[in-house]
Amino acid sequence: MPDLAWFVVRRLAAAILVMLALSLAVYLIFYALPADPAHLACGKPCTPDRLEQARHFMQLDQSTLQQYLNFLKGVFAGRTFGEGTAAVHCNAPCFGYSFPLARPVTTLIIERLPVTASIALGAAVLWLLIGVSLGVVAALNRGRLLDRLAVGFALVGVASPSFLVGLLAILVFGFWLNMVPVNGYVPFTESPVDWAWHLITPWLVLALIQAAAYIRLTRAQMLEELSLDHITTARAKGAGESRVVLRHGLRGALVPIVTLFGLDLGGLLGGAILTEKVFSMQGLGELLLSAVGQLDVAVVVGTTLFSAFLIILANLLVDIVHGALDPRVSHG
Amino acid sequence: MADRPVLEVHDLHVTFRTENGLVPAVDGIDFAVAPGRTLAIVGESGSGKSVSSAAVMGLLPANADVKGEVLLDGRELVGLPADELRAIRGNDIALVFQDALSALNPYYTVGWQVAEAYRLHHSVSKKEARRRAVELLDLVGIPGAARRAGNYPHEFSGGMRQRVVIAMALVNNPKVLIADEPTTALDVTVQAQIMRLLADVQAEFGTALVLISHDLGVVAETADDVLVMYAGRAAERGTVRDLFHRAAHPYSLGLLGAVPRVDVPPRPRLATIPGTPPSPGSITTGCPFQPRCAYAERVGERCVTERPELTPRPGEGDHEAACHLGRRPADA
Repeated sequence: MPDLAWFVVRRLAAAILVMLALSLAVYLIFYALPADPAHLACGKPCTPDRLEQARHFMQLDQSTLQQYLNFLKGVFAGRTFGEGTAAVHCNAPCFGYSFPLARPVTTLIIERLPVTASIALGAAVLWLLIGVSLGVVAALNRGRLLDRLAVGFALVGVASPSFLVGLLAILVFGFWLNMVPVNGYVPFTESPVDWAWHLITPWLVLALIQAAAYIRLTRAQMLEELSLDHITTARAKGAGESRVVLRHGLRGALVPIVTLFGLDLGGLLGGAILTEKVFSMQGLGELLLSAVGQLDVAVVVGTTLFSAFLIILANLLVDIVHGALDPRVSHG
Repeated sequence: MADRPVLEVHDLHVTFRTENGLVPAVDGIDFAVAPGRTLAIVGESGSGKSVSSAAVMGLLPANADVKGEVLLDGRELVGLPADELRAIRGNDIALVFQDALSALNPYYTVGWQVAEAYRLHHSVSKKEARRRAVELLDLVGIPGAARRAGNYPHEFSGGMRQRVVIAMALVNNPKVLIADEPTTALDVTVQAQIMRLLADVQAEFGTALVLISHDLGVVAETADDVLVMYAGRAAERGTVRDLFHRAAHPYSLGLLGAVPRVDVPPRPRLATIPGTPPSPGSITTGCPFQPRCAYAERVGERCVTERPELTPRPGEGDHEAACHLGRRPADA
């Protein structure tokens, strides 16, 4: 296990470097945009005088490098915009301050995360169950009708854009059949039943689309695994078919499935933009989308970095789990 | 030969249904093996020796048709329901595979895998199965068995892995052990150790051993009886002395002639049998060995038109060969 601890330390150190490089890149890209966030903040009529004032208050009048250093300082020590009674504080870890929304980006992310996490985690459980079980069924019935149906379903899933499936689901299940609520989010702490009830359609829509990749991957991996000699050994020992398929076959197919799952989930936790938009849920994706519309650069940078952080974290977790799943993998 | 055979195979036919039509792999073979005895099945690749053993175990894929009789202690195994066959596999008849690395599941410890074989046929606690697994690993000569039981297959050497596979096969005290080229993947000194282990086990438990091999050296040392297979049929059968001293089939002679010997001055090239073996069933009339046979011209038309049946030959026991050549080839 010291191997593993050392591995995690090294990977975390590397992750910090990646985050620094990434934050600089994101900063440079968004601050190179011709649009001026101060314009939106200065109100109407926007005299050059007031514009300059706004710019100074938002610390946009400094050099790009200085702004980036301010941002870094904010992450570790917090920062303050303006002086005196008009001063705005952003406590560490401060990933920027949204002037249009008048809140620190960190707070915004923390507020929005439960919505996105609810969508992503629920959908993830569903698509994993659907994808893996259909993939196994397809592999066991290779070339037969069930295989063709599962592969066809996967093809439809891969080809369907989530906004279209989402809108169709709202139309059919929400309006025509009037079975499910069509929008809005109810916090889990308020009412777990309403929470699930409002989320069931987005879960299914996301799961339908994501499951496709898992059906294909599971099917291919299972076909490969079931052709291996140790599967024959298991049969020769007298193991029943379900034991052969699940304990011996699926066990080997699990490693790439878990890898894909970790990365998908990490990506989705950073914001399920289209799904959130279609179902009018105020998650991270929706936050990012509206921030782009309002030139709220601080929010764009903050949420982008947060998404990147999640993906890096997911990668690290996948690598750790990989070692636990496959005894041949060494983290040394 | 005093004992009744524990395993009897009568007129075994195996045909594969493929996209290119029916492909026969085994075309009517008979053999029997008594407790404590060793039967070697010898032949080139594709002669049907491994298919025969898989047929005995009921391990052939679904597209294989098996006809004939496989009797275990007088009980017919062909056509037995899957769950009854499963109770026999690994319990009464066990298999030792050629390549121990691929025959073992890389994701489980060897102790778990040996214990699994035991638990599949005995309702015992995991702890009890584990104890039994360690006992067997110790029996097959794995040093520090209790500790090594917690290791994964890739942490063992080739010879030690083959010992694990043998331990797994022996854990239920089978009546019949089928060893399919158990030493091919090992180097010569380890080969000798493994063969000695099998002989010791056999002497101690009275196991009937079916040894599938193309290594005539191993056969000469360990077998009591030999079945020489060619193109899915029996070319010759008899005791090991019959085969090595009184070989009656030109193919057996060819195999013996191809073995390099230390007591004969080396030739620039190893002796071979000219030509390649036909796929079973591709020669429908005449003797399947005729195209490669050095004696066919002497016999004449019969070899091309009439398929030779097994006929008695002089020897110790039931020495038989399927050849039109009446006398021993050496005297002809």
